[in-house]
Amino acid sequence: MKVTESFRISWRAITGHKLRSGLTTLGIIIGVGSVIVFMVLGGAFEQNIAQEIEEGNDEPGMWVHTQQADSGFGDSPFVRAKFFTDSDVAALESIDTVEFVAPSARFPVAQLTHDGHQRTGGFAVEATTPERLEGDVVEGDTFAAEDEIVLTEEATDLVEGGLSVGDEVEISFDGAGSETFTVVGIVEPTSTGGNSLVPTAGYVSLSNYETTIETPDGNQERAYRELIVAAESSEVLDQAQQDTLKYLRSDSDAAQLKEDEHVLKAQTVDDAIDQVGDIVDQLTVFIGGIAGISLVVGSIGIANIMIVSVTERTRDIGVMKAVGARKRDVIQLFLVESVILGAIGALLGVLVGLGFGYLGVSVIGWPMVLPTDWILIAVFIGVTVGVLSGLYPAWRGAKVDPIEALRHE
Amino acid sequence: MTSTGSVVESVEAGNATVSLGNVRRTYYLGEPVHALDGVSLDLPDGSFTAVMGPSGSGKSTLMNMVGCLDTPDEGTVHVEGRNVTALSGSERAQLRGTELGFIFQQFNLMPRLTAAENVTLPLVFNDAVDVDRRERAETLLSRVGLGDRLDHAPPELSGGQRQRVAIARALVNEPSLVLADEPTGNLDTGTGAEIMDLFAELHAASRTILMVTHERHIAEHAERIVHLVDGQIQEIEQLDSGAHTGGSQ
Ligand SMILES: Nc1ncnc2c1ncn2[C@@H]1O[C@H](COP(=O)(O)OP(=O)(O)O)[C@@H](O)[C@H]1O
Ligand SMILES: [Mg+2]
Repeated sequence: MKVTESFRISWRAITGHKLRSGLTTLGIIIGVGSVIVFMVLGGAFEQNIAQEIEEGNDEPGMWVHTQQADSGFGDSPFVRAKFFTDSDVAALESIDTVEFVAPSARFPVAQLTHDGHQRTGGFAVEATTPERLEGDVVEGDTFAAEDEIVLTEEATDLVEGGLSVGDEVEISFDGAGSETFTVVGIVEPTSTGGNSLVPTAGYVSLSNYETTIETPDGNQERAYRELIVAAESSEVLDQAQQDTLKYLRSDSDAAQLKEDEHVLKAQTVDDAIDQVGDIVDQLTVFIGGIAGISLVVGSIGIANIMIVSVTERTRDIGVMKAVGARKRDVIQLFLVESVILGAIGALLGVLVGLGFGYLGVSVIGWPMVLPTDWILIAVFIGVTVGVLSGLYPAWRGAKVDPIEALRHE
Repeated sequence: MTSTGSVVESVEAGNATVSLGNVRRTYYLGEPVHALDGVSLDLPDGSFTAVMGPSGSGKSTLMNMVGCLDTPDEGTVHVEGRNVTALSGSERAQLRGTELGFIFQQFNLMPRLTAAENVTLPLVFNDAVDVDRRERAETLLSRVGLGDRLDHAPPELSGGQRQRVAIARALVNEPSLVLADEPTGNLDTGTGAEIMDLFAELHAASRTILMVTHERHIAEHAERIVHLVDGQIQEIEQLDSGAHTGGSQ
């Protein structure tokens, strides 16, 4: 029996029971739909982070930080301990291809007060070198003194009435005291590296930074968790990265201070985007897998309906067998029917998933990314689910004894 | 309406289309029930045989044997020279699809297919036949007087019309043997008579026919009547009136 023939006959059976067929595919639609929604959201999230990282980084550079060598699934790979000393900063700065090195130290903010208006937490202040901000200043100037702060553009409306150059703000830090700063400048968003989830509201001088560590030479020096290393130009970025890594892994204080399971990293923008992508991918697959469980439910639904349909059509099967249908023809008919149901379910699921996913990312404001791979995977899964859930009913149908089937009304 | 022209072209005459040798079929329901208890019967090419007998006498079991739907527990069944007991399930299915035509009391049309599609259903399972199905269905349905009902679904047709569709279906593969189990059982007398006219045409065209019925006047369209009682042939009654052309003993 030709496959096209079975499509024609199976299609009749499906359209003959529109409501039932619709309900049968619902499980697959929901299963595939939710997988696609998560993939759209995951892809959009990733794309969004990538864009944000890129936006703040038109100058060639890299982040130097420490990561866990083998971070398991769900662990943050980033090590919070501070291993990069002032000597490391000086040594890196002396590399030819490096323009400047900006230590970066982030303090989570508990509260920001201005003019009686307050804003509670959710952002951080970074201590860094003034050079790092030079290219980004849009108003005023970069900080020069310890009690001066440069705010990011987003931070200017943190409190009611807004903040502008010349204002005084009182900032209380998590687990530390509070300080009063004068706003001296505004910068456009500059990236804070791949490892921070809270946005940076402002930048202050490193003289506010007091964490020290004993170096291998026995001195007390300030130590940082993260350094920003700017390359002389984008042409020498790769060279700068190699030079930096070479120094870090051989002569640096950090190499001796870090634990064995830590790795020192120098990540360019592209490296950081890749790494964020990897993490988001893992998460999306995990969530998508959970959503995929509903596919199992969907396939049970198809199997169930197909069994009912085999029972209902016992007489038809008997007729077909009497006029020459072999077992394999009957199996083919029912398999084609369940594959059609699975494939239609998957296609509709993809459409529904893309629709809801698009709605979701539009509301959040992320860019829409078509999860092409997942669309193909979903359709493949739909067809597979169709085959698997059709196997048992088809076998039951093939077993029908035509004499019995034709015997009774 | 069916008095002019024949339903099918003539088939070549030969020897026995069907030959049953001492066929036994036993069901065990607590104690054994011999549905067929040593039946030997030849259906010569082009013959028209009716089977009569009380309910439970084994008429349908005999039909299933000849129709290659069932196999005997003992004895031999030959259809078109093939030893049916030696065939696999799918080989028997193919034999049914190519050599046999079935007509049932319940019509047994596929409810979701049109009249034309029902007629050509046997060809669907027979990849070897490559004909214009639509044309074939049209020819056959016209011959049974349903040339204007090609695209009607069975539920839209009357009982007599459905049986005509079933007859057209039974002829679509140019079968050497047509099997009918109570073909007029669900029809009123007038419609039944029209159906029997079609059988007379089939017989005139030298098709081999085996027909089960419990109505004497229907059976009298045949050349001979096999009387079954308790799974055994009690008598083979020769009829003169039924003899048209075709084979005789
Ligand atoms: N599948 C079956 N299981 C058990 N007994 C059966 C089966 N088919 C037929 N029989 C028995 O075999 C006998 C002949 O049946 P059947 O050929 O259908 O008779 P008829 O068609 O003449 O009424 C009956 O006694 C019937 O009960
Ligand atoms: Mg019967």
